[in-house]
Amino acid sequence: MPPALAGGFQLIIMKKMLFLFLLLQATHLSAQFTGATLKASGLTCAMCSKAVFNALSAVPYVEKVQPDIQASTYQISFKNAANIDPDLMARAVTDAGFSVAKLEMTGNFPETAIEKDGHVMWNNNVYHFVQSSMKTIKGKQTIRLVDKLFVSAKEHKNYGKQTTMACYTTGTRQSCCPSLGGSTTARIYHVIL
Amino acid sequence: MRKILLMAGWLFSGMLTAQELYVFSEPASNMPAYSSGIKQSLKWLPNRPGKGRDFRSTTEWMYGVNKNWMVHGAVTFSDMYSPNFRWESWRLYSRYRFYSSDDLYRHFRMAAYAEVSTSANPLIYDELSMEGDQSGWQTGIILTQLLHKLAISGTAGFTQTFLHPDTLHHISVPPISREAFTYSLSAGYLILPRKYTSYDQTNLNLYCELLGQEGISSQRRFLDMAPALQLIFKSQFKLNLGYRFQLSGDMKRMAQQSWLLGTEWLFLRKPKGQGKK
Repeated sequence: MPPALAGGFQLIIMKKMLFLFLLLQATHLSAQFTGATLKASGLTCAMCSKAVFNALSAVPYVEKVQPDIQASTYQISFKNAANIDPDLMARAVTDAGFSVAKLEMTGNFPETAIEKDGHVMWNNNVYHFVQSSMKTIKGKQTIRLVDKLFVSAKEHKNYGKQTTMACYTTGTRQSCCPSLGGSTTARIYHVIL
Repeated sequence: MRKILLMAGWLFSGMLTAQELYVFSEPASNMPAYSSGIKQSLKWLPNRPGKGRDFRSTTEWMYGVNKNWMVHGAVTFSDMYSPNFRWESWRLYSRYRFYSSDDLYRHFRMAAYAEVSTSANPLIYDELSMEGDQSGWQTGIILTQLLHKLAISGTAGFTQTFLHPDTLHHISVPPISREAFTYSLSAGYLILPRKYTSYDQTNLNLYCELLGQEGISSQRRFLDMAPALQLIFKSQFKLNLGYRFQLSGDMKRMAQQSWLLGTEWLFLRKPKGQGKK
C-alpha cells in the first residue's frame, strides 16, 4: 500500500476512534450555570404563585427570583460558583403543590462537542443530550431539561422517542451510559439544546 | 336563564381566572408543604325563633405535612345549643392528595379526607355536621378540575355521629338518621385583578357552592346554595363572607340560613436570604 494512502486510511480510522471515544466517554468539563427560566404548571392564583416563588427562593444556590405571575414564569439567577442540582428546583415547585412545565438553564460553557446521546459531565452532574446532531458549543448557551420532573408527561413521552437509552426513563445511570466513575446510581439529567 | 347567560359570559370573557380557595368546602389541592395557616371564622344564624341570633366561633390551624398530606385542628365556641357562649367542640381533619395531573393553567386532582369531632352538643336535629354540632366522624373523596378559566370541585362523603338521638328534645318519624351521605359542588372565579403584576395586588373572588346531605335511614335531605365573596391581600391574608340558604329539603335543622365571616392567614415557607419581593 502506498505510504500516502496508508496515512489517509490511518487518519480515517483515528477520526472514527475519536468519534467513538466522544460518544462513549462523558466529557468532564467545568461550566458555569448562571440562571434559569422556570415555567410552573397547574396554577392560576397569586397565592399559589407566591408559594412557588418562596419555595424557589429557598433553594440554597438561588440568588434571586423574578416572577411573572400572569405567565407562571420565574427568572432565576444562581449564586456565583454554586454547584447546581436542578432537582432541587423541581422539588421546590412540587412541594408547593404544583409541577414544572419547562426549565431552561443558561450558562457559560467551555468548548464542548455534543453528540446525539452524548453524555457530558459539567460540575459533577451528567447531562445526556437526547436530541442533537453533532455540534460544538462554546460560551453562553441555554439548555432545556426534559426529564419527567421538568416537562409535562406528554412532552416527556415525545422526547423519549429521540433516544432508546434506558437512563431516560429512570433518570439514573444504567448500563447504556458511558463510564463516568463515581456512583453507579448517579443522576443523569436529560437535556436538549 | 339570564343568570346562566351572565355566568357563561364571565367564564368565557377571558379576563377571569378560576379559583379553588372555597369558603364552604375544601378543594383536592393541598396547601404548600411545610406551610401553615390560621383560620378564624364566625358563623351566625339570623332569626332563630325565640332566640334572636346565635354565634359560633371557629379557630382552625392548618399545616402542610408534605406536598400531598395536610392536617387541620379546630376548636369551636358557641351559644347555639346553650344560653351562654361556651366551649363546644374539637375537630381533627386530614386530607391526602392521591392523584395529580398538571398542565399549563389546568389541573385535575383527587384527594381523600377523614375527620373526627367531639362535641358537647346533643343530637336533636336531622342535619349531621362535624363543624361543632355533633361528635362523629366523616370521610370522603374530593375531585377538583381546573380548566383555564373554570375550576369545579365536587365532594362525596359519608358522615356518622357517635351520638344517639336525644328523644327528650326531638321526636320524629322515622327517627333521626345517625348516618348521612354528604355532597357538594363548588365553583369560583377571580374578578380582580384583571392582570397579575404583583403579589401585593388585592384579589377579589366570587364563589358559588351547592351543599347537600341525605340521612341514610330517615331519607330526609336538604340542598343548600352558598354564594360567597373573598378578598385576598398580599397573596397571604384572606377575608371571606358567605351566605348559605336552603334551596330545598325536609330535614329538621337548627337553621335554614346562616352567614359566615372568616379570616385566614397563610404562613408560607420563608425564602432564605431573600428580599421581600
